[in-house]
Amino acid sequence: MTSTKSANGMGIIIITVMIAMILMMLPLPEQFRLFRPEFVLMVLMYWVMALPRRVSVGFAWVVGVLMDVMMGGALGVTAFSYALVIFMTARFHLQLRQYPVWQQALIILSLVLLIHIIAVIVSPQLASWYMWLPAVTSMILWPINYALLRNIRRSFHVS
Amino acid sequence: MLLAVIASLTLFVLDSRLNYFSSVRTVLSTVVYPIQTLASMPNDIGHWFTEYFQDRKQLQEKNAALEVTNLLNHIRIQKMQALERENMRLRELLGSSFRLQEHVLVAELLTIDLDPFSQQVLIDKGQRSGVFEGQPVLDATGVMGQVTEVTPFSSRVVLLTNPGHGIPVQVNRNGLRAVATGRGLGGILQLEYLPHNVDVREGDLLVTSGLGGRFPAGYPVGTVISVDFPQGKSFADIAVKPAAKLDSSREVLLVLPTEKQRKMNKPETSSGENMP
Repeated sequence: MTSTKSANGMGIIIITVMIAMILMMLPLPEQFRLFRPEFVLMVLMYWVMALPRRVSVGFAWVVGVLMDVMMGGALGVTAFSYALVIFMTARFHLQLRQYPVWQQALIILSLVLLIHIIAVIVSPQLASWYMWLPAVTSMILWPINYALLRNIRRSFHVS
Repeated sequence: MLLAVIASLTLFVLDSRLNYFSSVRTVLSTVVYPIQTLASMPNDIGHWFTEYFQDRKQLQEKNAALEVTNLLNHIRIQKMQALERENMRLRELLGSSFRLQEHVLVAELLTIDLDPFSQQVLIDKGQRSGVFEGQPVLDATGVMGQVTEVTPFSSRVVLLTNPGHGIPVQVNRNGLRAVATGRGLGGILQLEYLPHNVDVREGDLLVTSGLGGRFPAGYPVGTVISVDFPQGKSFADIAVKPAAKLDSSREVLLVLPTEKQRKMNKPETSSGENMP
């Protein structure tokens, strides 16, 4: 982490995560708001799959705390769910890399569903039948996200 | 991983139970504020463009329309003043004190989306402008909600439709008191714990009752859109449509309290429970 080359790579990762955070808050028309995919989680998952040594559970946790503060939820909930998902992804990153993209997308579906279930367990009064929509859109967008971030990684030589 | 779990749990407990973390939260909120402003930028620029390139005719039409409403408002205010004076006189006769008119602070919404399920918005005024936690927020047509979190430059407003938010109201027609709680998505409020024989009709206007001391009395909250007495349930099912334009207002008003209310607010009231 001390050499200049790796610091450059970290910069790219942080920038992509920040763009994802902005996308999470970008105003959308009312009817599309419920469909907003979990951009931040998708970006984090890509990076942890590609470079499990660079993006750690701790990094995901810090991003989660920031998301909690931004969205105004109970502090620590998103942090916990992000850390959990990234932990699982890091554990199985070798298998995940081997899967075809559509199969990865199915795993994204279940993991995004998982973090929404955690959110509902913590604050049950927010429960709603529309909670599964972001999971579906995340799944649909995963191939695009995957291709885009892979291009970014290759063109900036992040390793 | 274990470390992250422990840290999350500590954060969660400290934040939600002990209220010890509000200062840390404020600092973190200030850190993410630039990201939030960045996210609201595309919309702001769009807004600016449409305003800048409006043609002359449109502006003239708008101006004419505004003048008409201004005139109408003036007439109403004239009547208001007379009524207010009369009201004050009558109250003096009755020996009760009259609440002075509240002062307000105008703030603008940051155009960003937060979690759609928790029904919150951000506004661009914070501690620097004297915003405080629990401050009532109105728009031009009614009550919007209250401030839950204050940072130096921005603050977070919980809308009436947040499922954990309740507001003490009064039916304008007959003075019946009730509590209107949010229902989350869909933008509808609900009147809770009213018996089947209650005198509430469709179209009734609800105003703040001022009980609990957090919201000033007499501001419109919403109108009753449906009243149902389900068989086998102990309470009536009453849906209320908020008077404020919760999803389209851009400017909001923050009510500054009078001295008397400030004293009343000191001991925490349970009028508006803030849930995460």
